[in-house]
Amino acid sequence: MKIRDVVIGANASMYYKLNFKNIKGVYYPKTEQDVLAAIAHAKQNGFTVTPKGGGSGLSGACTGGNDQRVMISTLQMKEILTVSKDQGYIDVQPGITPDKINEFIAPMGLKFFVAPSSRDVATVAGILSTDGGGNDTWINGTMRDNTIRVKMVLYDGRLLTVDSKGVRRNDLELEEQLNKIGMTIHDVASSHGTLGFITELRLLIRPTVKEALMGGLAEFPECNVLGQALHEMIRKNIKINYGEVITEAHVDVREDLRPPLHVVEFPVELESEMREIIDFRRLDSKELARMKDVRVKLPKRNPKVGIQVALFEGYGFYDESLIKLQDSIDSVNTLLIEHGMTPFAKYGHGPSKWYTGDNSATYGLILHSREIKPEGKRGQEMFDTVLAIVEKCNELKVTPKPEHKWPFSDEVKRKKLEEIRTVIGRSFNPFLLSPECNDILGSMV
Amino acid sequence: MSYDKCVRCGSCLQFCPMFDATGEEQFSPRGKAYLLQVMDQIEDDEELAKEFRRLLFECSLCGRCEETCSSGVDLLRVWHEQRAKAIETHPEEFAYLEPLKDALANVKNIYGLAAEDRAIYWLDELEDEIPGLADRVYEKGKTTENIIFLGCLMSFRGSQIPVLRSLFQTLEKLEIDYLVMGAEENCCGHPLYLMGNEKGAQELREHNKKVITAAEAKRVISCCPGCLIQLREHHNLEGVEALHHTQFFDRLFEKTKKYDQKEKFSYHDPCELHRILEIKTEPRSLIRKMGIEFKEMDLSCCGGGGLLRMTDPNLSDKIIQLRVAREGVKDTTVITACPSCREQLLGQDLKTKDIVELLSETLDGGAD
Ligand SMILES: Cc1cc2nc3c(=O)[nH]c(=O)nc-3n(C[C@H](O)[C@H](O)[C@H](O)COP(=O)(O)OP(=O)(O)OC[C@H]3O[C@@H](n4cnc5c(N)ncnc54)[C@H](O)[C@@H]3O)c2cc1C
Ligand code: SF4
Ligand code: SF4
Repeated sequence: MKIRDVVIGANASMYYKLNFKNIKGVYYPKTEQDVLAAIAHAKQNGFTVTPKGGGSGLSGACTGGNDQRVMISTLQMKEILTVSKDQGYIDVQPGITPDKINEFIAPMGLKFFVAPSSRDVATVAGILSTDGGGNDTWINGTMRDNTIRVKMVLYDGRLLTVDSKGVRRNDLELEEQLNKIGMTIHDVASSHGTLGFITELRLLIRPTVKEALMGGLAEFPECNVLGQALHEMIRKNIKINYGEVITEAHVDVREDLRPPLHVVEFPVELESEMREIIDFRRLDSKELARMKDVRVKLPKRNPKVGIQVALFEGYGFYDESLIKLQDSIDSVNTLLIEHGMTPFAKYGHGPSKWYTGDNSATYGLILHSREIKPEGKRGQEMFDTVLAIVEKCNELKVTPKPEHKWPFSDEVKRKKLEEIRTVIGRSFNPFLLSPECNDILGSMV
Repeated sequence: MSYDKCVRCGSCLQFCPMFDATGEEQFSPRGKAYLLQVMDQIEDDEELAKEFRRLLFECSLCGRCEETCSSGVDLLRVWHEQRAKAIETHPEEFAYLEPLKDALANVKNIYGLAAEDRAIYWLDELEDEIPGLADRVYEKGKTTENIIFLGCLMSFRGSQIPVLRSLFQTLEKLEIDYLVMGAEENCCGHPLYLMGNEKGAQELREHNKKVITAAEAKRVISCCPGCLIQLREHHNLEGVEALHHTQFFDRLFEKTKKYDQKEKFSYHDPCELHRILEIKTEPRSLIRKMGIEFKEMDLSCCGGGGLLRMTDPNLSDKIIQLRVAREGVKDTTVITACPSCREQLLGQDLKTKDIVELLSETLDGGAD
């Protein structure tokens, strides 16, 4: 075992105590050829394959569980390949981040509109594999809405191109089989590295439109009022450009903010419509920039005493659970406390959009959550809390979305992935869909 | 243990020059913090533990990771503590640092040259050009308002002579009351501090403190950010202000003559100066007062810090080579304000000037 085999386990989830002995190779390819070679090595030796991007995912999927596996990182595949201003796309390698793309195309007056808070480190292939989104997903969609096509390498070395219409490749038989079961980009989205290794993405880029925007801060006495306001914005389809919510935050990390609050930015002509829904104080550009900065840093800040942990990253509140946001949150917090966890902060994107396993869009509030790591709790106990939260979410009609994506609990998604894997093989990240997944994750906390 | 606070978000990866140059996670701050978090699982594997100790010295201690981290991980401190622990528990793995330690213990400079030669090389070189320079060397009984602390690099390396010439010429021209510590100067202790050897560093500092106090100096001035870290933060000087030369000169001028600029300039801000000492405005202010137009380089490391030149010279070279290629500075003169960065830049055949060289030229012949 080499130190690079251990370090590849570094990831932002609470599943980080890996059994390093089962990591049988770590690759940092630069080209598709290098990826093919790494996968061939895995295949020859009967190892499974786990792709890894920035390791910022919070579901533990980039760890590969406990299989005898080869880990392939995209951290050296971060080239921009083509930019087509006219046709509005950019071809990139999988390991580039949204920030780097935007740094490159901003001088051309273009923008890639996917903005998770982790956009400085999350890679585009990682974001697609988790179907991530950010503060503007409400108007710009999730990663899948911004991905035109991907190229992937399968376990047997065959190459696929997948877009919104279906699959293309030279091997007509495979193409036919996959198109018959209707495989599209929707299936790659949120597949958590269970299908193949994405080597290239064609992403949607659009001109940055200069429009007069207004920033605002709305504070609420409690979250039901906030939830109703969000629900109303969704009902009226008010196209706000930026919407971030903080429902609670520990005193050590919230600076002078007083949650529950909603930070918004929207075209000035929407002011009166917005005022009908929320009572906000205007923010000048400096104040707004500070709010945005606090929000981006919240997921990383620690309390003065103790350490934060991302126990259960994401809750998707919609319809009834959004209107009764405070009640829903109280119910979750009660469960957390019963399990010996201390709620630390909750914040997220709203209004927002996400997809469920049947690929239909849902609109509501995506709330991320952090807790204070309890002293002396066993990993399995913490993981049991996660499972209890999934149950609670189902009861409350909240989409349980550790980082917006929980393929293991969404039966429709799971079934479709299984169907595709019957055709292309099951050697990519198999632990996620195996019956032992919960035990394995529990052992890594 | 502050590394426990690392949430492994990965934000520090892109800023770490080691990760940038190698592309592998074990060189990154997150990678190393993670290794500490899972150390209980791997420490029995002697080979892994050894590899980890080596990795601790593949770091330029540039502080960029700590600056980026929003989770309150005191990364520089972690690296210092872990380095100290590594050397203390496994000295045999760091035998290559022994000659340096011996030199510092015996002759109080990093080159192992005679202590009394500290004021010989540059004096030989500059005495004729700067009359009275020999009298500026501190001896027992002499006092001054400003004492100049040159540090090992500037005292012994020929490549630093142009900076020294400009420094002394400027001080003379401005009729500043100053003395140079000369043979009475010990190494500031920075190399030992970078190894986590606090005790050895403290011995060197104590002597320096005595000299500075005996000279009744109000200010101790250094061109070397590493030395300044030691003087300002660790020498416990009472009533003596430790200043970088750019701070000292910036205070003296409302405005200067205009520099007669015939070439393109870029500015490389030394990590220890701006990130650790937080001296950011004065160097730029001084350059601007001379009316010099320049391009800011990335606020990144030159690869010359943290003993990396000794512990992994190839990596150190790679870091500066990457930057030179990426930032297109070959056709410019790189302004900087650190003898160690200067060495790195010269090593790549780049043209470089310390800010005091520009100042000296301006005072000599700049346009009004
Ligand atoms: C501080 C912080 C803030 C965050 N904020 C947000 C947010 O606002 N919105 C949001 O959506 N998420 C957020 N996240 C979660 C995380 O950033 C996302 O899940 C992100 O999409 C993960 O990208 P990554 O490159 O880090 O992927 P990884 O974590 O490395 O991997 C994630 C999944 O993608 C797969 N994968 C990676 N590369 C490939 C490839 N080339 N081919 C096939 N599969 C691949 C992996 O196998 C794994 O299953 C946040 C995380 C942190 C730590
Ligand atoms: S930025 Fe801080 S918390 Fe994030 S990985 Fe680096 S050291 Fe850890
Ligand atoms: S101090 Fe600099 S070189 Fe060392 S780990 Fe941090 S960023 Fe990397």
